[in-house]
Amino acid sequence: MKQDESNRGTIQVAELDPGFKFEILKHEEAQGLNACFACGTCTAGCPVHEVFPEYSPRKLAKMVKLGMRKEVLSNPYIWYCVTCHNCEQRCPQNVKFFNILNVLKNIAAKKGYAPASWVEQTQQIMKTGTIFSKNEELDKKREALFLPAIKNDGIKAKRLIKLTGIDKIKAQIKS
Amino acid sequence: MNRYALFLGCTTPAQVIQYELSSRWVCKELGIELVDMDDFVCCGINQVNLNQEAGILLAAMNLAYAEASGLDILTLCTACTGHLAESVERLKNQETRDRVNNKLKTMGLEYKGKAKVKHISRVLYEDIGVDRINERIKIELSNLRVAPHYGCHYLKPESAFGGLDDPNNPKTLHQLISATGAFPVQYETLNLCCGGKSFPVSKEVAFYLVQKKLDSLKAQKTDCLAVQCQTCYLMYSDQQKEINKQLKKQYNIPILLYPQLLGLALGGDPQNELGLDLNTVSLNNLFANAGINRKI
Repeated sequence: MKQDESNRGTIQVAELDPGFKFEILKHEEAQGLNACFACGTCTAGCPVHEVFPEYSPRKLAKMVKLGMRKEVLSNPYIWYCVTCHNCEQRCPQNVKFFNILNVLKNIAAKKGYAPASWVEQTQQIMKTGTIFSKNEELDKKREALFLPAIKNDGIKAKRLIKLTGIDKIKAQIKS
Repeated sequence: MNRYALFLGCTTPAQVIQYELSSRWVCKELGIELVDMDDFVCCGINQVNLNQEAGILLAAMNLAYAEASGLDILTLCTACTGHLAESVERLKNQETRDRVNNKLKTMGLEYKGKAKVKHISRVLYEDIGVDRINERIKIELSNLRVAPHYGCHYLKPESAFGGLDDPNNPKTLHQLISATGAFPVQYETLNLCCGGKSFPVSKEVAFYLVQKKLDSLKAQKTDCLAVQCQTCYLMYSDQQKEINKQLKKQYNIPILLYPQLLGLALGGDPQNELGLDLNTVSLNNLFANAGINRKI
């Protein structure tokens, strides 16, 4: 097992943001955060943690409570979640960490930290209604198997997505 | 009469058409009518990363279109299933529902919460039933040892699936495999995630998880892995090939989509009706073991 070498520095109390926790708790789906007693069952069952020990649901929950806003939102590993739901399935306090993580990712996305994959996918859905572009070779293959044609119609999805403003989210520029 | 609006999702009709083909055929054989819907778009699961309510809004639009047709939804992708079912749960909150409906109103739509979301395997399990499926079997696959893979979003979050199965110790896909005459193999990494959702962001996580699953299957006497989601399929099948190439490994574990396995037992044509020729890992050994005299 690899060891987590990140964040070995001292926490600077002056840089902490005590309001961060309350900003997260404003979201109904993140209410469970207060119930977390940091037992680490989530992290023990997390498949991403097996590969990247730097990613730990327990640690992230603690960092939010301490007010480590910048460290949490700029943490690249928050985007690595495989969405297996083990963390919430196994939590003895019924904390929905998956939902808390989504709240964190949503704030991070607004700050420009979203990976290109999710931003590009949203742009694609606005064009075809799915995450793929029109493909004539595929259309022929489907026709040969008597499968109905793919619509490739993104008009409705585009109208809806524009109402949410996520079409304006910019992907993180890799340095 | 079992009649559903077919929710194909994005990836199945574009990259794993054998899943669509075999699902349509199996449903027809067992009297499940599938209605194609022009209005369905992406379920919105990945938009949750950027803005949760945007993800729920896309789900609500799809659900509202199904409702308007008076139909429940039949899904193929477990991720679509999980996201749509979780959205139904989240939309029970009146404030969330009002905000979502305010946006849907501009498109002449309203979400009322009537349409149910059921994955094809759940429909087979609940509407048809294991015993009735078994009665229809033409070719007993009793020589095959098949390892099930449920897919995380098939049963989680647990609150969205109304007690279909126990996510910690699931049995329903095991039973569906038994219904074909095959033996369902229990193995150590049964509940391990395929890594598909992290694939666009980190190949390292995905490759690790795929190998961990395949390694534990190698330790068992297993003829194939049966999956019920096209993303799980792509991870274990196409990425199995990629791992062999990039990491110089020699995995050779056939991957079937459950409707393909069931279709074989129901006597479907391997190529024209079940699309088995499109599967990436060779199935010739599997066919020989199953006693099916055919090479594709």
